Amino acid sequence: MKTLPVLIALAILAVIPRSFASSNAEAEDFLKKSVSEVVNISKSSPNSTALADSLRPLLMKTISFDAMTRRAVGPGWKQFTAEQQKESIRLFSTLIIRTYSGKFTPGELPEITYKAATSPTPERVEVSTMTLYKGSRYNVIYRLEEIDGWRITDVVIEGVSMVGNYRTQFDAEFKQGGADAVLKVLKKSVSAP
Amino acid sequence: MKKSLSILAASALAFCGLQMASASSTSNNDIVIISKDGAETAPTQVGKTQKSSNGTLFLRSTVEPSPSPTPKSAPKPQATPAPSVSKSAPKSVKPTPKTAADSKNPSIRIQKKSTPPPADADLDEYSHGATIADPAEPVNRGTFWLNHQLYNYVLRPVSKAYEFVLPSPARRAIHNVFENVEYPVRVVNHVLQFELKRADLETRKFVVNSVAGVGGILRVSDRIPELANIPSADTGQTFAKWGIGHGAYVVLPVLGPRSVRDTVGMAGDYALNPVSWLSYGGVSGATALAVSGPSAARNMNEKINLYDAATQNAIDPYIAVRTGYIQYREQAASR
Repeated sequence: MKTLPVLIALAILAVIPRSFASSNAEAEDFLKKSVSEVVNISKSSPNSTALADSLRPLLMKTISFDAMTRRAVGPGWKQFTAEQQKESIRLFSTLIIRTYSGKFTPGELPEITYKAATSPTPERVEVSTMTLYKGSRYNVIYRLEEIDGWRITDVVIEGVSMVGNYRTQFDAEFKQGGADAVLKVLKKSVSAP
Repeated sequence: MKKSLSILAASALAFCGLQMASASSTSNNDIVIISKDGAETAPTQVGKTQKSSNGTLFLRSTVEPSPSPTPKSAPKPQATPAPSVSKSAPKSVKPTPKTAADSKNPSIRIQKKSTPPPADADLDEYSHGATIADPAEPVNRGTFWLNHQLYNYVLRPVSKAYEFVLPSPARRAIHNVFENVEYPVRVVNHVLQFELKRADLETRKFVVNSVAGVGGILRVSDRIPELANIPSADTGQTFAKWGIGHGAYVVLPVLGPRSVRDTVGMAGDYALNPVSWLSYGGVSGATALAVSGPSAARNMNEKINLYDAATQNAIDPYIAVRTGYIQYREQAASR
């Protein structure tokens, strides 16, 4: 009878790593497919503006702009009205798409080496890559979470987190003028050429 | 664990504070005598009790219930806007009505303190990122603005010309050669960081690329897995591994963002870089310029690309560069 709890524990231990492994593999496959599509689109784009436009539909279903905006704003997000939250996500997604697509120069293709995915927390998978681009090497980490399917929630290039970087910028604005100030600077940045 | 201990300690202190405040405010410093006949105030003479008194002596404040939990001296619980927070707030925050049991054991009073609302882990995730002191921010912002003009109107055109004149393979070759030449910077710092295996790998990489890669033009080492991704090393990183902190953030003219620690480290890197030895090595000025020129152009080109990546689409380019710099250096030091 004593063997039953031991067997149950062993069964759980046997299942947990497999479920993590399968999540990691799913996230990794999703990322590889998405990056491959991005590279294909960047091959045929004549310039950065066209590239951002072409990438938008793909990135909208690859990146969780909702999670990114929420975390970039931080705890102050609770003080945004529903309307302000919606508007912030819309503006920030435009900014992120421009920032991400701005890292690619049409015609220059990156060589990407994927490392094994890891799970720093049960909800998150991180895929580390070594990207050779324009003669330089960059360590790029993609953070993914399962939100209506796998979604990218942050991109960390050489230790610089995209969300973390915007967080410090929004923080300064929020402390000065709250949600209105954040929306104001977002609108200004999006309307800048 | 530490957090709960500190909350308990704070609760205990607040509780003691409550008791002391109530004792002083209600002048309950009288001495009472508890005997089989009941409690009565002990007669005192110039602050002393009579020696003949029977029964046990107690401070009145310890045997009489305080009139209320004295909410004034208790720290106010923080506002709890999120519905999830109210779930975790203990119900016993409200003053409990007095019961018969209270009056029997008046000196024992347990009051639960409301715990601060738990931070929203999702929204708070990036709250504790790498930071750096920036006491000279107004001056730094001024230098940042000057550098911005310099990059945009002088260095960017030169960088564009460099990209226009030299095709991508040529630029890559120049990058490879100078990266290979900077081997002493990396190997000395690996040794200073006690990373002897990395120093060994770095040496092998240098030999492979110098010999098989024709003076470093080709990075043959990329085809050897153990030599492909050796973490970089510089003097600032070495200082970090020795436990030296960043110090303040500074924006140097032309060179851009640095911490005080990395500014000192930069001098070490300069001294270890063979390209800079040429200026002191007895070669002609023209030769030194011919060698250091492409190196400077390659550095400038990379600097402009990094600067653009950090500032384009930024809300506040100054903060974007500062955060980017400190995150980058923290990661480099943690390798």
